[in-house]
Amino acid sequence: MVALARLTLIHEWRRFLPAMIAVGFAGLLQLLQAALVLGIFGSASVYITGSTADLWVGYPGTQSVNLGRPIDAGVEMRLRMDADVLRVESFRWVDADWRGARDTGGVSVFVSGIDAGPDGLMFARALPTALRARLAEPGAVIVDRADLSTLGVNLGDAATINGQRVRVVGVTSGLRALGGVNVLASLATARQLDTTTAADRITYLVAKVRDPAQAGAVAARLSNGPAFGNYSVWTAQQFAQRSQMYWMFDTGAGAGVLFLAAIVFLVGAVITSQTLVAAVVGSIREYATLNALGVGLNALRKVVMEQAFWVGALGLLGSSVLAGLFFALAAHYNVPVQLSPVAALACLCLSMLLALVSGLAAIRTLRHADPASLLR
Amino acid sequence: MSLLTSATPFTLQASSISKSFTSGRVVTPVLHDITLAIRPGELTLISGPSGCGKSTLLAILSGLQQPDRGSASALGHDLSSLDTRALEYFRLRHTGFVFQGFNLFPALTAQQQVELPLSYLGLPSTEVRARAIEALEDVGLGSRMQLRPAELSGGEKQRVAIARAVAKAPELLFADEPTSALDAANGQIVIDILHRIARTRGTTVLCVSHDPRLISNCDRVLTIEDGRILNDQSLPFQPAAMVGTQEHSV
Repeated sequence: MVALARLTLIHEWRRFLPAMIAVGFAGLLQLLQAALVLGIFGSASVYITGSTADLWVGYPGTQSVNLGRPIDAGVEMRLRMDADVLRVESFRWVDADWRGARDTGGVSVFVSGIDAGPDGLMFARALPTALRARLAEPGAVIVDRADLSTLGVNLGDAATINGQRVRVVGVTSGLRALGGVNVLASLATARQLDTTTAADRITYLVAKVRDPAQAGAVAARLSNGPAFGNYSVWTAQQFAQRSQMYWMFDTGAGAGVLFLAAIVFLVGAVITSQTLVAAVVGSIREYATLNALGVGLNALRKVVMEQAFWVGALGLLGSSVLAGLFFALAAHYNVPVQLSPVAALACLCLSMLLALVSGLAAIRTLRHADPASLLR
Repeated sequence: MSLLTSATPFTLQASSISKSFTSGRVVTPVLHDITLAIRPGELTLISGPSGCGKSTLLAILSGLQQPDRGSASALGHDLSSLDTRALEYFRLRHTGFVFQGFNLFPALTAQQQVELPLSYLGLPSTEVRARAIEALEDVGLGSRMQLRPAELSGGEKQRVAIARAVAKAPELLFADEPTSALDAANGQIVIDILHRIARTRGTTVLCVSHDPRLISNCDRVLTIEDGRILNDQSLPFQPAAMVGTQEHSV
């Protein structure tokens, strides 16, 4: 079988280039957008995903980690009473005001007061044990390397949080936050910095259970009974999802993302279909001749669809390579990007769909491939 | 096919064909009540001035268009009784076309141009290849099979187009102004090839042209003017051998 579609694509690549670029850019934009969105909104739940806790206990109805309200610290007893709970830890969230050594004005920071012990659950994935131990020093804080310039400090510098003196004892990565800067401190330091919450109240309790697979059942068990006051228990996965969904949809950011994806799809489809239409029109007399010789319209449609497929495949190859480069660049500059295989595949499928829809649009042009029109 | 074996040897027949085109409110009659029959093994030329309706007649006889009145039949099939699919299949099996513009795909080599329609016949690829090579050698392009249209002269392109049309071994071969875009020498080569195909293969070759050079080279000339047949003239037999030797002269 003569591979008409492929041979034409190779021979007339200049003609098809705009379509390949359009599909490629559409794919690239979708990939980058998805990666940025997942990366940025993923950082909304960095407190949860960066920790090894299986259960989160907080104020009922809390929609996102950063919106926590204090609960009675006595709930810890309720958790410890459960045979499946191995470890319980407090997590104090403090919205605070940072003044750096350099003149940066006030910076809104989120202080995470965590257990500085070597077995601490909070930020266990983001914080090496040695670094964590340094938090034991009173007034010690750790920040993300990428936030140093925002905070106007260098490693070892002193600063003030809510008027109290603190010192940056370490930097790490993967702590970037949405809408502010994450600052890690020990529970004691955080307690000192917290000017609003009563001493017997805590923002969250996190717990480790014997069998993480049973976390859901334990959470359900612990939620029963109001004896210890007002609180809710979520599994880490539920709470992370809750936080991400809040940022994605309740803030309108998700709608913006979807809108942009639709625009990209539309513009890409217009360019691609116009290019394919032009390619069909350019060969319309040849197609008509084939039809005169008895090659059916369906076979000709297949040729056009095959062209659309190859345009899509080549475009996506380009976008995958470029996206890889961009991700490397993003990692280098600490831009939070994160792309799951499922999301990447969805983006690539969407762009391939774009190419195929454009092919369907171009197929309509084949109705002009009327052999009778050649007899003039 | 049944007609070939019956008493009438005609492969193409038209009876009382009329056709007119409508453009807005203006109805322009193109063909008036044309009846004709064409035999296999002959090169039949439909000649006449531009706009006399000869291309429309070719379109109707080849099943590319339907007449307003009357009926056309090819190889015993009433063309008006076939739907689009059936007509495509009929054309695939039985007819070849050569057009004034060569209509070759720029991306394909001469051999691929010829293989392309053949491959839709469902033949094994070795036979597709063999037939394509044979057809190209038959039109004197054996050494230029791997060239693309841009590397071929006008005459060579038209010969590729002829090879593409006849590689299927069709019973019917239609040619619309096949020499109009060619110089004298190449036009002569093309008409000789068409003539030889009719003689040696028994193909019905129906050619439409206003090129006067063709008249002396065909077996029968139908002259059309204003949609009517003015003259139907059979020319004396010319030996095919002479045609064959001329074919490779350029």
